[in-house]
Amino acid sequence: MGEQIIKIEGLKAEIDGKEILKGINLTVNTGEIHAIMGPNGSGKSTLSSVLAGREEYEVTGGSVDYLGKDLLELDPEERSWEGLFLAFQYPVEIPGVSNINFLKTALAEKAKYQGREAMPAKEFLALVKEKSALVELSDKLKNRSVNEGFSGGEKKRNEIFQMAMLEPRLSILDETDSGLDIDALRIVANGVNTLKTENNATIVITHYQRLLDYIVPDFVHVLYDGRIIRTGDKNLALELEERGYDWLIKEFA
Amino acid sequence: MTLLKEKNIDLPQSIISAEAVKLAVDKIDSLDFPTRRTEDWRYAKLGKILNKKFDRPTSNRINVNEFLITELDVYTVVFVNGVFNEEESLLPDETGVVCKLLSKEAGAVSEYDRLAKDSNEIFSAINTAYASEGIYLRIEKNYKVSKPIYILNVCTGTQLISNSRCLIVAESSSEVEIVQGFYAKSSKENFNNSLTEVFVKANANVVIHKVQNLGSEDRQVCTEEVHQEKDSTFKINTFQLGGEFLRNGLNIRVDGTNCYTEMNGFFNGKNSQYLDNHTRVDHLKSNCTSSELYKGILRDSSTGVFNGKVIVHQDAQVIEAYQQNNNVILSDNAVMNTKPELEIYADDVKCSHGTTTGQFDEKAIFYLQARGVSKDSAKEMLVEAFAEEVFEKVENEDIVSFIKSLI
Repeated sequence: MGEQIIKIEGLKAEIDGKEILKGINLTVNTGEIHAIMGPNGSGKSTLSSVLAGREEYEVTGGSVDYLGKDLLELDPEERSWEGLFLAFQYPVEIPGVSNINFLKTALAEKAKYQGREAMPAKEFLALVKEKSALVELSDKLKNRSVNEGFSGGEKKRNEIFQMAMLEPRLSILDETDSGLDIDALRIVANGVNTLKTENNATIVITHYQRLLDYIVPDFVHVLYDGRIIRTGDKNLALELEERGYDWLIKEFA
Repeated sequence: MTLLKEKNIDLPQSIISAEAVKLAVDKIDSLDFPTRRTEDWRYAKLGKILNKKFDRPTSNRINVNEFLITELDVYTVVFVNGVFNEEESLLPDETGVVCKLLSKEAGAVSEYDRLAKDSNEIFSAINTAYASEGIYLRIEKNYKVSKPIYILNVCTGTQLISNSRCLIVAESSSEVEIVQGFYAKSSKENFNNSLTEVFVKANANVVIHKVQNLGSEDRQVCTEEVHQEKDSTFKINTFQLGGEFLRNGLNIRVDGTNCYTEMNGFFNGKNSQYLDNHTRVDHLKSNCTSSELYKGILRDSSTGVFNGKVIVHQDAQVIEAYQQNNNVILSDNAVMNTKPELEIYADDVKCSHGTTTGQFDEKAIFYLQARGVSKDSAKEMLVEAFAEEVFEKVENEDIVSFIKSLI
């Protein structure tokens, strides 16, 4: 077993006074891929938002230990500097902010936080070239404004490109497969698999078993009504694909 | 000691034109200072100017290197507190350019005060009556000035009043690019009153970049009176950066057919700054286009005002007039007052105007943060992106990077 990256205990969170997460327990170690599945409205995206630090969600209970730090005490950017990465379900379009320039700033701020010198421009550009090839992101897209005018597939590939640039310890992919055709899905999955090392870990949030054919999970968790109601291996995903969630929900009830 | 509230102006009368001075002095007598009930000044806290006691400026020999635009080859005309500074200037020496001090022309210039004299703004009358000096630029017919002319106005000292005056005459089919900069050096609670007249004659092309970056306690009233003849192009880009109180009045009379007029502006409010842009375009003749884009950022407890007026007169047919003002408010205490106005008396026109005032998209800020950009940097990135649309209107890249370096 690898080293513990994140340990979520009894995590509760609400938005606008409505409780969404009702006590999540989840531990992820290095070298592991965890899939979180569940019906709509079960709290999957809330979980990723809370872990990434979105202010709209209020954490009302529980704790999150991330590499020995209290994750919930960190600002979103500090979480990123500490190696947490969230691939957004809906990547935001930011007209006028260049994809490359913002990544340069992000890397420079991370370096500063870690007390390192910022990467020289030449090295940075070489890294951009290497990492964008991973998800077949063209020069044109790299230099455009962040996600502006990108197709659904291009946005998701851009997310994985950024993930590659930031080299996170823990990546959370929030429905990265939604809206992707098979080709784009393969490119994205290939990128994620290539980035996997013995030293990092991935949480894949998804609706569909399809993605898990390409990114094979070590654990599959079923989230329902703000709790994890079942944990299994990759076969659980196959079973869910066949039988749906109702039988599990009934058992849980 | 000058106390404007009492119209007690302790400055020697202007020697530029006795005739203009006489008219202006009469006007000062007959006009009152605007109040909060004067529509065009309703948001301006004029007490900051009217209730203060100002001293006469003394000539100050200061070094202006810090305000030069590195990389850019320009002619420079330097004024310090309204007084010409010859050592620091590099006047145009091209055959097609006349660049002289207005006082040396002693009223010989028939264009002087012609656009300003009908104005009912008391600050314009004060400028005409008391401007000790000014610059006169004439670009000869069919002549294109080889490089931009940079007019620097630097305020220095404490509680001084100064008038800046400028007359630009672009003869037919001439071309010129002008940078007009207003800066501060060890400047405290100074008041600068600037008036620029521009004649854009037939088929001429005039571009002005106006940069206002005064000290955090300085005040300024800045007026342009522009007259366009047929087939001419006039473009002005205004950047309101530093200064406690900046009030701009830009008036353009498009008095010829087939003209193009463009007004762009970016204002960047911080602390308790008051940044006011009043613009007015009168379309008097047919087949003209005017386009206006002002964008503003308001932080802290700053106040912004945009009032853009386009008047399409009865005989001006086939006019296209576009006006847009977009603002972003970054603080609960910041205020934006915006009023785009169209008055149309012709029937064949294509006009649009619009304004938005809002905040940055929280989702965009969070997205950048989640990738490791601190919240403050994320906001600055969005400010830059927001302003970019205005900077894109400035074709000269060196001027763009110079202005960006001031923000």
